[in-house]
Amino acid sequence: MPLLTANTRRDLEVHRYPAPVYLLVPVAALVLQALLPRFMGRYAWFDLPLVVTVYFALGRRSPIQGTFMGAILGLFEDALTHHAIGINGIAKTIAGYLAASVGIRIDVQNNAIRLLLNFALSLLCSGIYVFIYRVLLGMELDYNWLNELFRALGNSAVALILFPLLDRCQVRD
Amino acid sequence: MESLFVRYRNLLVLLVLLVAQIVGLATQVRRTDSGRMGFDPGDGSGVRLLRLWANAVVSPPERAVEGSKTGMAGFWQNYFDLRNVRKQNKDLQDTIDRLRLEQAALLEDARQGQRLQGLMNFQQKYIYSTVAAQVIGSSGSDQSRVFYLDKGKDAGLAVDMAVITADGIVGKIRDVFPHSSQVLAINDQSSGAGVILETNRIRGILRGNAEGEAQIVGILADQRIQPGEKVLTAGGDQIFPRGLPVGVVEKVVRDPDRDAFIDIIIKPAAHIDRLDEVLVITATQPRFSNQQQQDISTSENLKGAEAAEALEKKKAAEIMAERLPGLIDPNLPADQQPLHETSNPSPVIRPPLPLHPDRFTPGAAAGSPDSGVAPSESTPETPASTKPRSTESGSGKAPSSASATGKPHGTGTGDTTSSSTSKAKPATPRPQTTKPQTSTPQRNQ
Repeated sequence: MPLLTANTRRDLEVHRYPAPVYLLVPVAALVLQALLPRFMGRYAWFDLPLVVTVYFALGRRSPIQGTFMGAILGLFEDALTHHAIGINGIAKTIAGYLAASVGIRIDVQNNAIRLLLNFALSLLCSGIYVFIYRVLLGMELDYNWLNELFRALGNSAVALILFPLLDRCQVRD
Repeated sequence: MESLFVRYRNLLVLLVLLVAQIVGLATQVRRTDSGRMGFDPGDGSGVRLLRLWANAVVSPPERAVEGSKTGMAGFWQNYFDLRNVRKQNKDLQDTIDRLRLEQAALLEDARQGQRLQGLMNFQQKYIYSTVAAQVIGSSGSDQSRVFYLDKGKDAGLAVDMAVITADGIVGKIRDVFPHSSQVLAINDQSSGAGVILETNRIRGILRGNAEGEAQIVGILADQRIQPGEKVLTAGGDQIFPRGLPVGVVEKVVRDPDRDAFIDIIIKPAAHIDRLDEVLVITATQPRFSNQQQQDISTSENLKGAEAAEALEKKKAAEIMAERLPGLIDPNLPADQQPLHETSNPSPVIRPPLPLHPDRFTPGAAAGSPDSGVAPSESTPETPASTKPRSTESGSGKAPSSASATGKPHGTGTGDTTSSSTSKAKPATPRPQTTKPQTSTPQRNQ
């Protein structure tokens, strides 16, 4: 258990990044999310904006920043679909808040925790999406839980590769 | 109070953002005429602005990526495929010729169809003009099967225009931006297109399912539908012109919600998951356009020219048949016709006897003392079967000029060609030839 808790100074430090990273990485995530499914077809089991939201929320350890990051990326993601704007926004807002809240308490450098966190938040986002669509809006939506499971696994795999790459962009004191 | 706000500020920010988004969602949903909830088809100004921003952020990088990919592919094709262009051009020309003929053949059916539609007061739409566009991106979500084109309002695109490929239909334009547009694919759950099965003539509505497959819903379970059957657009949805290919029936499954109905899963004719270029139908006409009329008249002319050429060939063949000597002699009974002669498998056609033979008449020169030409140079090679006929002629001419002149064959006139020719053709008809044994000793000389 001590391994999982953030009790050292290094674990509790807030990660800082150059200003362009805050802009370019989310935009790149949105663009790649729109581009890659064209080449991968139905096997595009990942959600890059969610992975980026979780990364910055964990790194900044600020629930407010995580909430805003999730809301903005979710709203932009919604704007690229033909659905109502706000469904993904709500889901990713909650995901960003939870990731930042969890990041305060646990060691976010641990790969196993990163993997588990992405998996759980991906499933949570899918559940919130379906809940909003079918319960809040009262609309019909066919969904396949197997696809959501694969997407959660895909997000975890992407996070394992992407998080160390983004860690290199940190500003060290 | 202030400490409470500071203490729970994270939670308060979350709640404010959530409430704002829920209120925003509520303004975008309307109850439809059927009592169900649905998205408002016309976006509000705020929603529209957000979509425009998202498009403005995402489209330029997508366009750049697509442009570089197209540029590389274009270089490759232009450089390497140029070698096959000539052959392809010839093949395409052949295809155009064939299609023109087929088009002309179908013209009468189309005109009849138009007349019947006029009687039924049903206006058939024909594709009038299209705009080619490049697919540059997608929504990125499998709950929203939409993709983006690199052409928008500036290229004349508008909402509800049909998007097709050469293989079949793809979707319809849902939203148009200044330089790009959003297309709703036919395999999206909220799409809808009127379709008809080609042989059964069963009509239905095409939409997508959760797996991204296109399916026809609301078909009664007692219908017999075979996999592989073609599906076409029905033309009643005012978006897709009638008769465009949609796909083929892949399988039939039970409707999970209604027992009496089945869903027909369709394999789309167009590769919807891997689209590069598409055509947007920007205008349709209730009648053939001027360009189409021009094409049809060209086809008709071509067809007429081809028919006239065939007729000309037939006439020429008939004339040739009349002029050539027939193999059937009307004066002979059927069992004595040359065709029935079994003794000689290749019957010899003899020319008629000359009325006034002169020195140029084959064989007649033998009797003239100054000719110096053997009249029957080929006599030794004459087949035995010709012997009776030679004697039948009863000419009574000199047996052999060679024996008379004492010269070898062909030396009298120096005309070696005629000599060799006659030797090479032992079956050449010689009606006035003499007996073969008369020249045999000379050959031995």
